[in-house]
Amino acid sequence: MISKLNGRADVEAGILFTLFGILTAGLSLQYRLGSIATMGPGMFPLILGTILAILGLVILTKGLLARGEKSKSLPLGPVIMITASLLVFAFLVLPVGLVAAIPAQVVIALWASEHFTWKRAAALSAGLLVFCYVVFVHFLGIAVPMIAV
Amino acid sequence: MDFLSNLALGFHVALAVNNIFFCFVGVLAGTLVGVLPGVGPLATIAILLPVTFSMEPASALIMLAGIYYGAQYGGSTTAILLNLPGEASSAITTLDGYQMARNGRAGPALAAAALSSFFAGTIATVIVALFAAPLSKVAMAFRPPSYFSMMVLGLIASVVLARGSVLKAIAMVLLGLLMGTIGTDIYSGTARLNMGMLELADGVDFVGLAIGLFGIAEILKNLEGHQTREVLTKKVTGLMPSLSDLKRIIAPTIRGTLIGSALGILPGGGAMLSSFAAYIVEKKVSKNRDEIGHGAIEGVAAPESANNAGSQTAFIPMLTLGLPSNAVMALMIGAMILQGIQPGPEIIVKQPDLFWGLIVSMWIGNLMLVLLNLPLVGLWVRFLTVPYPVLVVAVMAFSAVGIYSASGTLFSMGELGLFALLGYVFMKLGCEPAPLTLGFILGPMLEEQLRRSMLMSRGDPTVFLTEPISLGFLVAAVLALLIICAPAIARRREEVFVED
Repeated sequence: MISKLNGRADVEAGILFTLFGILTAGLSLQYRLGSIATMGPGMFPLILGTILAILGLVILTKGLLARGEKSKSLPLGPVIMITASLLVFAFLVLPVGLVAAIPAQVVIALWASEHFTWKRAAALSAGLLVFCYVVFVHFLGIAVPMIAV
Repeated sequence: MDFLSNLALGFHVALAVNNIFFCFVGVLAGTLVGVLPGVGPLATIAILLPVTFSMEPASALIMLAGIYYGAQYGGSTTAILLNLPGEASSAITTLDGYQMARNGRAGPALAAAALSSFFAGTIATVIVALFAAPLSKVAMAFRPPSYFSMMVLGLIASVVLARGSVLKAIAMVLLGLLMGTIGTDIYSGTARLNMGMLELADGVDFVGLAIGLFGIAEILKNLEGHQTREVLTKKVTGLMPSLSDLKRIIAPTIRGTLIGSALGILPGGGAMLSSFAAYIVEKKVSKNRDEIGHGAIEGVAAPESANNAGSQTAFIPMLTLGLPSNAVMALMIGAMILQGIQPGPEIIVKQPDLFWGLIVSMWIGNLMLVLLNLPLVGLWVRFLTVPYPVLVVAVMAFSAVGIYSASGTLFSMGELGLFALLGYVFMKLGCEPAPLTLGFILGPMLEEQLRRSMLMSRGDPTVFLTEPISLGFLVAAVLALLIICAPAIARRREEVFVED
């Protein structure tokens, strides 16, 4: 069992690549393939998808034979928090504007770390708001809504 | 003389007030991220991509380029003072630089790094100016099969120099190529592989891909191993190196510059490889080779000149062939495409102001960097006291606003989130994202050249072997693959890349 665990990164990566290869190769079949001389839109993705699927199987096999790398352990918590902070930003920026979106994102992202204090969150939000206003709105003239109307 | 009038045009563009300003912003940002471990030039360029949308093409590239070579200066500062390479390309500088600092010779070490970098930057600028025009003339004569094979070689080279498994790196290239095919097919106008999403008609958003894979994923990686940094801001005194110091760095600087310039041009090369190679050479040939490793000034000058030279000559294949030699160059090409400029050998003819302005700005930027880095070294080091999570939050917020300002749609925010997660998964599985980016950038061009070649030869694939230039590129690609698969080299390669 231990030997199997050692190749886990390769097993998972192999499955990922194989599935993606099969998926794209399959999807590209719905477009015109054409001939080798006059390739249609489906040909190039079909060729690439097929090669990727085969390569994925090779990597998978290598992983099963346990000569591959161990998968790295990375914490899942911060990933969820960071993605959540992006989502919250996305949902607040249109209806309310940056004034709400940035502080909300800052609070969530800071909360994930051990460095959270309300004072720091407030200071950071204020600083970022001013910075983004100066860079995007004032300087580059991009219409990012500070306060949505 | 042509060369002089070209340089004059370059100075005209680079010395325009707004371009000087953007050059300054670029090198300033570069120095800053160079000092900070955990945020590299790659992430910074990705995050700043949306900001460049509303800028002139020349200003945009001048600023982004400044970040790349500016980071080479900043990285050496922390390498010397804190034994902490701000960038991978400065890792080797810690060996002698930190020893010098411990012996109370931090000043001369910093000066040697800055001066040798400046020398290298100057020479590399001249090399880029001299070689770019003839090379793009050669490339313009390429027929589609040669172009196709050249891109294949470029992609293989990115695999050779990626860390970790070769197979996985090839798979990442293929994945990138496939992602590049999403969107409207140039020949038939068919919307391909968009899974019914109209938003994907123009293809996957490059900004979201770049920020997700390099900006946010890099941050996630560093969140785990956050170390408490002890900042020993001892007063750095006696910045000026003595006359004997200066004499000792002349030869290593010249050697480093040459090595860096040569390795920077190679596909897959760039700053990191250059600095390692220069140090190894210096250890073999230097007069004071016994001292190297124990605080010899040569051990600072050689890698620092090499990484700066390499980071600049890496622009040659990017500008003349449209071939990115590393992920940073892929982002530069992405920035060009976003500006509506088709990368390739025609740039020098169609956009001479952009081309020469960028080259001259590199020299001006190097000058700014010497002035910025030496007197203000204490200021930069103080930035290390910023807690990493605070930096993370600031980067996240800036990325979100940036990508929103670039597209104004929730869909692109979703793409950003998806690529951030993908970047995380790739990291877990030991797959480098750089080859994917190269594949993504080169995908549409590769397909176009393949289809043209096949039209030209009426469907005969041997055309890639009968055309001499094309055959040459393919032979080189196969050799490169064979070399890394050779067991002895595979082992050495692991050792080299393990260090960072």
